[in-house]
Amino acid sequence: MQLTKHRRQATSRMNMTPMIDVVFLLLIFFMTVTQVSEVNRERIELPQQKGVEDQKPAELIINVMEDGRIVVSGNTVTMPRLVAILSETLREAGGNPMQVDVVLRADARGTSATVNDVVETLNKMEMRRVRIAVQVPR
Amino acid sequence: MKLSARKLVHSTVMELPMTSMIDVVFLLLVFFMVTAAFIETERNLDSAIEVKKSSAAESQSDLEPAVVEIVPSGGRYVYKLGAREMTSEDELLEVLEQFPAAARADGAFVRVSDGAPFRMAAAAIQTAKTAGFLVVTYVPKRE
Repeated sequence: MQLTKHRRQATSRMNMTPMIDVVFLLLIFFMTVTQVSEVNRERIELPQQKGVEDQKPAELIINVMEDGRIVVSGNTVTMPRLVAILSETLREAGGNPMQVDVVLRADARGTSATVNDVVETLNKMEMRRVRIAVQVPR
Repeated sequence: MKLSARKLVHSTVMELPMTSMIDVVFLLLVFFMVTAAFIETERNLDSAIEVKKSSAAESQSDLEPAVVEIVPSGGRYVYKLGAREMTSEDELLEVLEQFPAAARADGAFVRVSDGAPFRMAAAAIQTAKTAGFLVVTYVPKRE
């Protein structure tokens, strides 16, 4: 017969392992998503200017490298291929060139020859909504 | 057999090991601080594009529109506005700011030669925007 009170001391421990698992999973997820969203933007040295407006989503991002290569979605393309891509983008936008937002990212160290070619091509397709990407100086 | 009418009092002491959590939080903090320092802020210059420069007759005012050319001169590229040649953006800004408001409403044109450095083309567009020109049109200059 137990006459005295038995005082139990319960020690509750929280298992941190699943939490760390989840946190790292989220970290990897966001890192991967960021990488995928940046695939259209090549690592180039943009002109150092303060710009006029913040980045907005664009239907097409055209990268012009220092050596004059044109890169779209990570692939180097020729001018006829660029025309095909522009036609496809235009078709997806319902055939209205004013609905197509194009961002032109050209290397500040390069010449304007390829940019001029791209601008002429865009102009022929009546795509006038072109924004030039710049990098804000630190 | 329970003789006491009172309920048993459980003294529950919760121990939460915070060390691991703090480790993870600090790791994430350091990671984001380091990566944020490497990310460069990208912005846009909105620019109209045109292959041929619009004539003065098409402008809303009777004033000549501002046409900034980037042309070779003395072995380097310079900004040229009318007969004036300028080597820096500050000089160009000073000249563009002298244009009357009506001319600024018409916009400016930046004519860029094939061999001109692209950074100068972007600088000319930025300068025209800073000077108050509402629309700046990029015009390829083909010889």
